[in-house]
Amino acid sequence: MKTNTAGQKMCSLILLAAGIILLVGALIMDFSGSQSTLRGPMLVIGAVSFFVGLYFFPTLKHHRQIVYVIFLFPLLFTFAVTVIIPLLLGICYSFTDWTGIKFTQVVGFANYIAMFKDPAFIWSILITFIFVVMNMILVNVTAFLLALLCTSGLPGVGFFRASYFLPNLIGGIVLGYIWQFVFSNVLINITKISWLVQTKTALAAIVVVYIWQYAGYIMLIYVTGLTQIPGDVLEAAKIDGANARQTLFEVKIPMLASTFTICTFLTLTSAFKQFDVNMALTNGTGSVPNFMGNYLSNGTQMLALNIYNTAIAKNSYALGQAKAVLFFIILACVSLVQVRISNKREVEL
Amino acid sequence: MKKKVLALIMAGTMIFGLAACGEAAAPVADAGAAPADDAAPAGDASGEAAAPAASSGEGIRLVNGKIEVDAMLKEAAEKYTQETGVVVTIESMGGGVNIQDTLKGYYQADNMPDIFVCGSDADFDNWKGMLVDMSGEAWASDTDAAYKNDGGTVGFPYTTEAIGLAYNADILEKAGVDPKSITGPDAMKKAFETLDSKKDELGLTAVIGWCTEPKDLYWSTGSHSFANYIDSGLARDDTKYADMLADGGKIDETRFEHYAEMIGLFNQYSDPALLTSGTYDQQILGFASGKYAFVTQGSWIGATMTSDDADAYKEAGNFKCGMAPYAFEDGIDTILTNSPSWWAVFDNDNKADSLAFLQWLAGEEGQEILVKKAGFISPFKSCTFIADDPFAETISEYTAAGKTSSWHWLKNKSGLDQNALGQLYADYALGSIPDAKAFTSTVAQVLQQYYAE
Repeated sequence: MKTNTAGQKMCSLILLAAGIILLVGALIMDFSGSQSTLRGPMLVIGAVSFFVGLYFFPTLKHHRQIVYVIFLFPLLFTFAVTVIIPLLLGICYSFTDWTGIKFTQVVGFANYIAMFKDPAFIWSILITFIFVVMNMILVNVTAFLLALLCTSGLPGVGFFRASYFLPNLIGGIVLGYIWQFVFSNVLINITKISWLVQTKTALAAIVVVYIWQYAGYIMLIYVTGLTQIPGDVLEAAKIDGANARQTLFEVKIPMLASTFTICTFLTLTSAFKQFDVNMALTNGTGSVPNFMGNYLSNGTQMLALNIYNTAIAKNSYALGQAKAVLFFIILACVSLVQVRISNKREVEL
Repeated sequence: MKKKVLALIMAGTMIFGLAACGEAAAPVADAGAAPADDAAPAGDASGEAAAPAASSGEGIRLVNGKIEVDAMLKEAAEKYTQETGVVVTIESMGGGVNIQDTLKGYYQADNMPDIFVCGSDADFDNWKGMLVDMSGEAWASDTDAAYKNDGGTVGFPYTTEAIGLAYNADILEKAGVDPKSITGPDAMKKAFETLDSKKDELGLTAVIGWCTEPKDLYWSTGSHSFANYIDSGLARDDTKYADMLADGGKIDETRFEHYAEMIGLFNQYSDPALLTSGTYDQQILGFASGKYAFVTQGSWIGATMTSDDADAYKEAGNFKCGMAPYAFEDGIDTILTNSPSWWAVFDNDNKADSLAFLQWLAGEEGQEILVKKAGFISPFKSCTFIADDPFAETISEYTAAGKTSSWHWLKNKSGLDQNALGQLYADYALGSIPDAKAFTSTVAQVLQQYYAE
């Protein structure tokens, strides 16, 4: 038995070593720009032999952990390659003068300083916050009212429920172009000049389109919440003589507290990340004659679009990257608060 | 037994899945490695950037920025392949794709095309040190339109475009306005007034099709129209106003105010339905169907008029077109002509093939397809073909008379039209900037901000 273990240990060590050598060899060949077709198989065989070696490593104590790691590896690897590594690279780039092709020097915090000195960016942050607050309230109110309507038992609610949800199935870009047509070619007969050409009305237009797109989706969540309220509670309220208004405010809304939390955060984060409708509808145009002593031309440009534009149209990738890091921090904070609050609620329930 | 079979199937599926993951992981690892290359100093990067798939000697790939000539370029490529055996793949981009950004993505993914389009100083600066100097090529001595910077002759010119005040010659003739008389602001104003008074009998909707919509047409106002302030009336090598602009965004306020007065005139006489919320298609269709006597787009609309809008153009009598100078000051008598963009050759293993293909395009067979089929106006002196384009004649007249200026707006800071100027033209048209004086001071302020960033 003992020799067997020793043999097994030997075997697994050889496999591990061979795997590592093959992997490293393949990676070196890859980095040095080798055109050898062997490097693909080398990488795969190396990885497989490494894991087989790991699996047969004779240990009782850690065997379970090793198996867990092996099974988790594909997911962890994908996550690292698609999320973690780009995130770290992005943060590194924000401290350089990267052009999207190469960088020549590390500039420290210069990009971050430049970004806060840029009135156009401050304006973008400002209107994004206003937009988020407005949307959070308006989308939820609209969606809740629609949900009440759709659970009221009127004839044809199924049809209306589907049709309110429909705008959500259309992509933001297409939707933006449809509404651009509506504002510049149809509504122009009433409004005389298109809503999209002046900053204030253009912002209102984005809010309207966003509600139109998103309220149906949030409505569905409210509908689910409303239909899950136990019938006996509603029946008890009815027997106690509660009228419709009392039932709504004293029974239904308190029962929906957790749904409200979910919907609030859903609208909050998605409004923050608003990009496609913004781009297709106005692409950030609109003038602000005097903001911090400057004449701005990006009246309706929200944070995500500002980042995109800085990198692509203005050709300053590093500055855009710095802005994106700030954007990430803001969104991470919002998400952390969200997780905290929903965890608390779940415990209470 | 059944359970065992089931377990076997599941285990098999898992192994298959893992193997698939492994296979997939190889290219992913490649992608991860590409940005790391980036960390190398600029000089080294060019050497390593050979695309593995495309550069193995079996063909070359060209990224074209003019989607409308995609079919014609493919035809030329096919003919070239038949003659030489070198496969040329044409990859056309258009319709709002930011080509430079896509190319940066290709570079990161190690998938660079061998020939690609570059449209401005900023574009060429992106690829500094990675482009082939073509000054030794035969075509380079046959043209003045090649793009040169301190890396040598790095841009191959393939067409010529002109910016001028395009007019419908038939309508002008009917109204008794001689386009040759438009040599200064007063004459232009008089011509506009005459046309405006005869609008109904000429079937015009408006005198001029001028659109300041800032979201999609910012380039028409912020680059092409602004170009007239920079270059109109100047010699081809005169960079006076471009240099002032590059020096912290300064403008010559007297000249700009004259220019602004002309824009005010356009605002006044344009079609209100088009002025602030129109589209490019509307603008060109309006001109092609004879509803506007003038249009503020360059010679490239000829292609649209004879293809997409061919029916409307035919109905309007296939009228003769011409171009007048944007004469916002007395004595301005030039239109602006230039190569709108160039093809650059990426410095890799395929460069010999790429250079040979460009030389072929500049030769007789290549030019025949580019000029006759794609409607390009040849920048090569030896070319004898004449494009069948409504504006070809007027451009060659101006060129022959030496009355052309260059396109120094290509030196503008990246994104100037989209992020600063386009919106100002819209504000001026809307009336929130009331007059030429206010427009001048606002533009001066915005340019200074933009160049200070």
